[in-house]
Amino acid sequence: MKFSYNQIRDLVEGLETAPEALKGLITMKTAECEGIEQIGEHLARVCAARVVSVEPIAGTHNVKASVETGRYGERTVVCGAPNCRAGMVTAYVPAGTRLGAATIDKRTVNGVESDGMLASGAELGLNRDAEGVLELDVEPGSPIPGCEPDATIEIDNKSLTHRPDLWGHHGMAREVAAITGNRLKDPVNPRRIPAGEAVVKIEIPDFTLCPRYSALVFENVTVKASPLWLQYRLTAMGLNPINNIVDATNYLMAMLAQPMHAFDRDKLTGDTIRARPARPGERIQALNGEWYELAPADLVIADGAGPVAVAGVIGGMDSAISGSTARIVFESANFQAAGVRRTSARLKLRTDASIRFEKSQDPANTIRALAMAVELLEQVSPGIRLVGGLADAYRPKPAPAPISLPLGWLDRKLGRHIEEAEVTSILESLEFGVSRQTPGVLSVTVPSWRATKDVSLKDDLVEEVGRIIGYGSIPPAPPMVAARVPAANRERAFQHEVRAMLAARGYTEVYNYSFIGGEAARRFGYEPGALVEVANPIASDQSLLRPSLLPGIWKNVVENARNFESFRLFEIGLEIHPANAGADLPRQVSHLAVCSAARQEASPAAALFELKRAAECLMPGAQVRPVEPKCYEHPVRAAVVDWHGETVGRLFELHPSMVESGRAAVLDIDLEAMERARPAMKRYQPIRRYPSSAFDLSVVAELRELVGGIEQKLARLAGEPLEAIEFVRQYSGPPLPAGKKSVSFRLTVAAADGTLSSEEVGAIRGRIIDGMQQSGYELRI
Amino acid sequence: MIEQTFERLESRSRERIAAAMSREELEAVRVDVLGRKGELARISKEMGSLTAEERARVGKLLNGAKQGLEAALEARKAEFDRAALAARLDAEWVDLTLPATGAPRGSLHPITIIQSEIEDLFVSMGFTVLDGPEVETEYNNFDALNIPPDHPARDMQDTFWLKSGQLLRTHTSPVQVRGMQKLGPPLRMIAPGRVFRNEEVDASHEHTFYQLEGMMVDREVSVGNLIYFMKTLLSSIFRKDVTVRLRPGYFPFVEPGFELDIECLICGGAGCPVCKQSGWVELLPCGLVQPNVLRMSGIDPEEWNGFAFGLGLTRLAMMRYAIDDIRLLQGGDLRFLHQF
Ligand SMILES: [Zn+2]
Repeated sequence: MKFSYNQIRDLVEGLETAPEALKGLITMKTAECEGIEQIGEHLARVCAARVVSVEPIAGTHNVKASVETGRYGERTVVCGAPNCRAGMVTAYVPAGTRLGAATIDKRTVNGVESDGMLASGAELGLNRDAEGVLELDVEPGSPIPGCEPDATIEIDNKSLTHRPDLWGHHGMAREVAAITGNRLKDPVNPRRIPAGEAVVKIEIPDFTLCPRYSALVFENVTVKASPLWLQYRLTAMGLNPINNIVDATNYLMAMLAQPMHAFDRDKLTGDTIRARPARPGERIQALNGEWYELAPADLVIADGAGPVAVAGVIGGMDSAISGSTARIVFESANFQAAGVRRTSARLKLRTDASIRFEKSQDPANTIRALAMAVELLEQVSPGIRLVGGLADAYRPKPAPAPISLPLGWLDRKLGRHIEEAEVTSILESLEFGVSRQTPGVLSVTVPSWRATKDVSLKDDLVEEVGRIIGYGSIPPAPPMVAARVPAANRERAFQHEVRAMLAARGYTEVYNYSFIGGEAARRFGYEPGALVEVANPIASDQSLLRPSLLPGIWKNVVENARNFESFRLFEIGLEIHPANAGADLPRQVSHLAVCSAARQEASPAAALFELKRAAECLMPGAQVRPVEPKCYEHPVRAAVVDWHGETVGRLFELHPSMVESGRAAVLDIDLEAMERARPAMKRYQPIRRYPSSAFDLSVVAELRELVGGIEQKLARLAGEPLEAIEFVRQYSGPPLPAGKKSVSFRLTVAAADGTLSSEEVGAIRGRIIDGMQQSGYELRI
Repeated sequence: MIEQTFERLESRSRERIAAAMSREELEAVRVDVLGRKGELARISKEMGSLTAEERARVGKLLNGAKQGLEAALEARKAEFDRAALAARLDAEWVDLTLPATGAPRGSLHPITIIQSEIEDLFVSMGFTVLDGPEVETEYNNFDALNIPPDHPARDMQDTFWLKSGQLLRTHTSPVQVRGMQKLGPPLRMIAPGRVFRNEEVDASHEHTFYQLEGMMVDREVSVGNLIYFMKTLLSSIFRKDVTVRLRPGYFPFVEPGFELDIECLICGGAGCPVCKQSGWVELLPCGLVQPNVLRMSGIDPEEWNGFAFGLGLTRLAMMRYAIDDIRLLQGGDLRFLHQF
């Protein structure tokens, strides 16, 4: 929202604060100022000048004009405007004036020295009229009336979301007056509302959707350009001047935050205006030229023939003001915020009106705006006449109950004492009504423009007082609360441990997006239709929520392979799966994915074994069990990871077809399963007091028989005396027959209560050998 | 007479020991002098012909010479050992400027680093760390935070909706709701996490970023307390005393609501491009918890009150490390991530 500094100054008596300082004050006490734009700085130097004489310059359209400028004496200028003629009063810009990006210099044009220039409204930034130089009706030397240097203060709309009143200059001026301690002027004279019978009838079937509809009818209207001051003011407010009637509606809206609309009375059918829901199939061509299909959820303004406006959003083309308009209906209405917002969202049409209405405007404001309209229209359309009295339909609403404000409570909320007199004066400067309810408790009445949504609780008054005293005046203080040990978040602490351990082992943490596309989903074996889908994705390849971290990790592998021979990375994040039956929300599971990739591995499957070790470090005693591969896994390099009886994840190599060169091994762990499997307590095992004995055994087995399986068989046969069993090496090749390998283990055995004799050790060894031979294994002893 | 013999023998032998160039030569000297058939043995054999008195005297000389020579031999031998060891070790010269082996160091994501620091700080001040889901209900993300349907504040956050009607949380604030329901008053909690806004991505905008929500509910919680916590937090993050200011800001779930700015760390408040010449950088929204929000979560606002804040972790990480492109954070490029 853009505010004209001059307009605010006009409303605040004796305001001396400069725009830049005001920007700071408004930001600290009311709403965020995004910036200040100085406009019309050149207007301080521009003055009215009478053209004394005009001589044509041969061979050009230009003329040599002598002008009496009053302020700068008599000057000679070259002018190309078609309306430049002797006797006229126009605007003179002296040499040396900056006009936009350029500086007007004294220069020779067509052999004539031009000392300054005569300017059009567009050149002066007053309006968009570039047809000719300005036609003024003031004495030479005087400034252009109502057109002084100004500054546009831009306020962040987001910070006005809760303040319907700040969508108009009068509301902002009230803030400025309260902040600077000046008196606020009211631009409205309520006595200008005419008495008498209205000449249009208003029908509102549902006052919830349209709490109030007020209108006046005028005749003898002249549609033309607005006076310069109004065009310039609208420009400073960021609005485009169009014609006097439309400009009047826009100016009133910018002043009072009350959107207005003018209908051409002669284009309305009948004399009843209805604010009713649209009928199925109704459509309207709006002022922007677009056609809109309306639905019963949309409120329309209708005449006898059909919709003439979308309520609170935009007017219709058919009843728009035109050059031939002679009678107008001036609408000033109040519409339900939610309804306007829904319609505006559905039609994808946000207008200055809808933006204001969706903030819950004050129904009492409709007639204030009309009272001001009467005065304004008399100025901008001389000769205009009211027809009949005020048409006004509304459902009376009880005034909101006053708020009790205990002063001690206020002090405790803010953390600082404030005197009762100061609280009263702050609230009164913002036009709250204040009286003393009981000693130490104020009774505060909320003004109607703050009561629609903004202020209803005593907490809301804390803000009113706090922001005006300035939060900087509150000393920081630690709270007086009981010391309590915070509840532990075991899962999160554990995840931090996992992160630290992986980083220390050489893995770099990545964060990937939660979105994937259908193609990536299919590549990882998911049917896109079975995943959680985004209704309004940012792009079609980001329309699904990731059911796995792996598509992201795969992308990391492909992209980083361009820059690195080998690399290690990991991610911790949520997998998102469709909700389980009976659950509200999708199933969101913390997962860990670790990846080690290399163009050239130092030894076969080095990356896989490195990740196996990482898994063992995270989960001491974890077992890896080969399983059927998934479609994205290497066909014979895939396993699950078991820990304390729970399958917690998978260890595999990405299918080589997915990695351009080299290999990428992945460990994918369900952190919730891991957390479930994690033993709660560790318990110390006493260190053996008696020596143990060790011996080696070599077992001949099929090439693809799992070493882990043989180890388990040996361990089972060794039974209770087994202290440890350790893989030593494996070998295939002569003298072993083809298809066979020899696997060597070192077994350590011991007794709990003494040293085993060599006979006892021999017996254990013999038992193992016998057992293995009975199972069909050959042992190399 | 016999003394001279010993003296001569001893000095000659010492010369030979000193002259020996190897352990073998030294051994030859030992055999010649101290060996079973060596010179000292020969002398001791001749002692039989001496008187008892002389025998004792010569025996003493003999022992003296023997011990002296043995010590000289040992000392010389030790010299050879030292030299041999030195030679062997010298052959083991390595170039320590060669690269280290083993996996090079990995690293944590910059947001993880900042997040952990802030978690530790708040835990030390009695706050519990809570987690919440990334897919949320519309109720928790909006309604329970005093943002009913058709409230214009819903525009402040472009929401990713799911086909199921749920949404990707637009802020970590729904964890406030979960926290109030789970912990009950009094409570102190923070909730870091990933949030989503349906926004076009460029160097300074992301659809996925990180926030840290904080909330304290107790009997008497004031704006002054809020300022205290925020100052402590920011001074800890930036490792220096930071100047903060509160100004009005509108968030439906707090009343009063604030925007907290810190004095620009780049220019110290003088004005620079980072702070758009204002000297201040907008950092976090905060405020006292709106009574309706407490009430909707079953907490009586007449009895309890509190503050809440939302810290942009992504933004903080960018400030701390001077990261100028937000897309790097989720780009997965190890050339970037290795640096932390
Ligand atoms: Zn700065």
